[in-house]
Amino acid sequence: MSSVPFHAASPPLPASSVKVEFSGDRGEFFRLVRNGAALELVTFGFYRFWLATDIRRHLWSHTSVDGDAPEYTGRGRELLIGFLFAMAILAPIYIAYFVITIEAERAKAFASVPLFLFFYLFGQFAIYRARRYRLTRTVWRGVRFWMDGSGWAYAVRAAGWTLLAVITLGAALPWREAALERYKMRHCHYGDLAGSFVGRGSEFFRRGWKLWLLAISPFILGLLLGVVTRGHKAPLAAGIFVLATVIWIFALPFIYGGFKAIEWRWWISGIRFGEVSFESDLPKGALYGLYWKVIGWYVLILLAFGAYLIVSVGVFVGFGNLAHVAARTQGSIGATIATVIGYLGIIIAMNVAMRTYLLRDVWARAASSTTVYRLEAASNVAAKGDLADALGEGLAGSLDVVGF
Amino acid sequence: MDITPENNLENSSAPAPSDSSSIFYDGMSSRRHHVQLTLSDRLEISENGTTLASWPIAGIRRAEGANSLLRLSCVSAPPLARLELRDAGLSAILISRCPQLNNRAAGRHGVAAIVGWSLAATVSIAAVIWFGLPYAADRLAPLVPNALERRIGDAAEGQIKIVFGAKTCSGNLAGRAAFFKLMRKLSTAAGMEAPVRADVLDTVVPNAFALPGGKVYLFSGLLAKANDPDEIAGVLAHELGHVRHRDNTRNMIYSGGTSFLIGLLFGDVTGSGALVYASRSLINASYSRDAEQKADDFSISVMHRLGRPTRPMGDLIFRITGNQADKTLSILANHPLTEDRLKHLTDEDRPASGPPLLSDAEWTALKSICKAPS
Repeated sequence: MSSVPFHAASPPLPASSVKVEFSGDRGEFFRLVRNGAALELVTFGFYRFWLATDIRRHLWSHTSVDGDAPEYTGRGRELLIGFLFAMAILAPIYIAYFVITIEAERAKAFASVPLFLFFYLFGQFAIYRARRYRLTRTVWRGVRFWMDGSGWAYAVRAAGWTLLAVITLGAALPWREAALERYKMRHCHYGDLAGSFVGRGSEFFRRGWKLWLLAISPFILGLLLGVVTRGHKAPLAAGIFVLATVIWIFALPFIYGGFKAIEWRWWISGIRFGEVSFESDLPKGALYGLYWKVIGWYVLILLAFGAYLIVSVGVFVGFGNLAHVAARTQGSIGATIATVIGYLGIIIAMNVAMRTYLLRDVWARAASSTTVYRLEAASNVAAKGDLADALGEGLAGSLDVVGF
Repeated sequence: MDITPENNLENSSAPAPSDSSSIFYDGMSSRRHHVQLTLSDRLEISENGTTLASWPIAGIRRAEGANSLLRLSCVSAPPLARLELRDAGLSAILISRCPQLNNRAAGRHGVAAIVGWSLAATVSIAAVIWFGLPYAADRLAPLVPNALERRIGDAAEGQIKIVFGAKTCSGNLAGRAAFFKLMRKLSTAAGMEAPVRADVLDTVVPNAFALPGGKVYLFSGLLAKANDPDEIAGVLAHELGHVRHRDNTRNMIYSGGTSFLIGLLFGDVTGSGALVYASRSLINASYSRDAEQKADDFSISVMHRLGRPTRPMGDLIFRITGNQADKTLSILANHPLTEDRLKHLTDEDRPASGPPLLSDAEWTALKSICKAPS
């Protein structure tokens, strides 16, 4: 066995190990998301529930552990119903929010800002319940995963930890993730096998603190320069700051890609189900390329969109004096329709690129980096647990929160 | 394998050897069973001679799985019981023998049905936005109690004063007298039911607006740009039109409704996302243009009643915005384009037949309302 345990707290080298294998065909996934994005457009977005289901089905069914891939048993229809329920719940909340805002603002202007906290709590609740839905729709060897615990208890914890992470400029983020993951995994089960999470915040911090410093470096630099110049005008200091910020922007994909790789590896390596343990050896640089490819595709797509706009203006309005063309483009229905079509086109293209690289490829790399130890502990697990509803998914979609 | 899959299946008496590529999970535990299959009128699933399950052919369904295997479930078995066939020959036989295999098969949704229903839902949402919401806003706005409107207005007032960093101009008594005289004349001519609260706010921004609950604010920046009382009177009458039509409340109901419905469509009630934002701005701008048009009409009728010209208001707006057609996309604008408004106000212009609204001295006092009295 070449893999070295990641955690000091891990039990001594387990007896057996199997690699997780991802066998999904990239072209097949590409066609899936391309057709799905087109259908999303045709259905004014309603197809998103079925597309999300298809994507999960593809990823689940091609990720095999010891020769058996999990089955995703969720349905697009369930997500649609969850979404409609979420809307029904959120509508009165928005109205109540509106009324409370007015009362608070009357007492003191902008007094209502803390009410955003409430929506943050709701978002975290949604994240918890969304994981619960996905888990209960995951079946491996004829036994389903399931989850109990309270979404609200989780939301309160998440809000407290987020506050701490914000105050510490992100330094507390690893401990936040560890604490929240412990709560979530403690309530995850595979049949009668209970889940747990052994990843430590300190370990995550140890691996990622340099990236954290890089991420907040413009802030630190600005503070330092401010102290050095004591608030006096200093063109040199300003120049240094601008240059550093530009470099920082170009370094962001590396910083973020590195952070995500560390996060994935740390997360996977902390998961336990009873005696079964997981270990990932995902290298820190495993995701850089994917982020750059997405950026590259976005640039290409935007360039193509620009060229398309020029051509469509040329076709519908004609070339010539710039001001003249601009004035006539205003009234041209043909040019306007062509612009709208082009805009929808780039949305499709960007979604396809994003889903192919950041969903499928990230998943494939993270899955393939994983080894499972002592899987025999799950060889005779009794089925247990009930299905959960898709309300959390609906809320998460409505509130625009992401997380798992 | 010394026995072909076909023999294995057809030979109903003797179980096949145990190196079968078929795996069975009974849905009660995760235990893996290497099984032999016997196909007669039922599918017998057995492990080393012990029958684990017997599935009726008509109940067998395809379950979701990778392309390399055939994963089956049975409607009469525990819902998670699965039979997995990795042998292509065996799979082909079962597929040909089980006619209902793909009935309501896992996740095979009818794309056409989804598209059809989505289009129907979209048409119905669009119809509600175009016809239902304006109607609802018109009908609901009068039902909103005035006290609530005032509360909303008070809340907005606090924010506006902070945003513009401005104070009301209250020091100059002569200027205030002129301002309230003008407001009184306009309110009477407009036939307002209740006295309209109004104030001047000290800021360079050239603007005026009506708050929910009917408080009219004039910014001193607009006064600075104005050349005569009729220009300001036209603008104030326009704001009275908004108060009279309860446009703030109607607008709140309407834009709240469109946000919700468009969110329903694209799946985002908080309203971020370019597509949501774009379509919402387009729809709300068209509604708002309509309200502005009606407020202009109201202003015109008030000025007619007072026997004063309507063109000066158009001139004032034009002085501030300039020609808009070159730089504004008309469907995105929440006001009608200035040149169109100027044309409308000029078309309706009549020579002055009534007395001036303010004397020269009063006008001078009003112009300097935000300056400390000398």
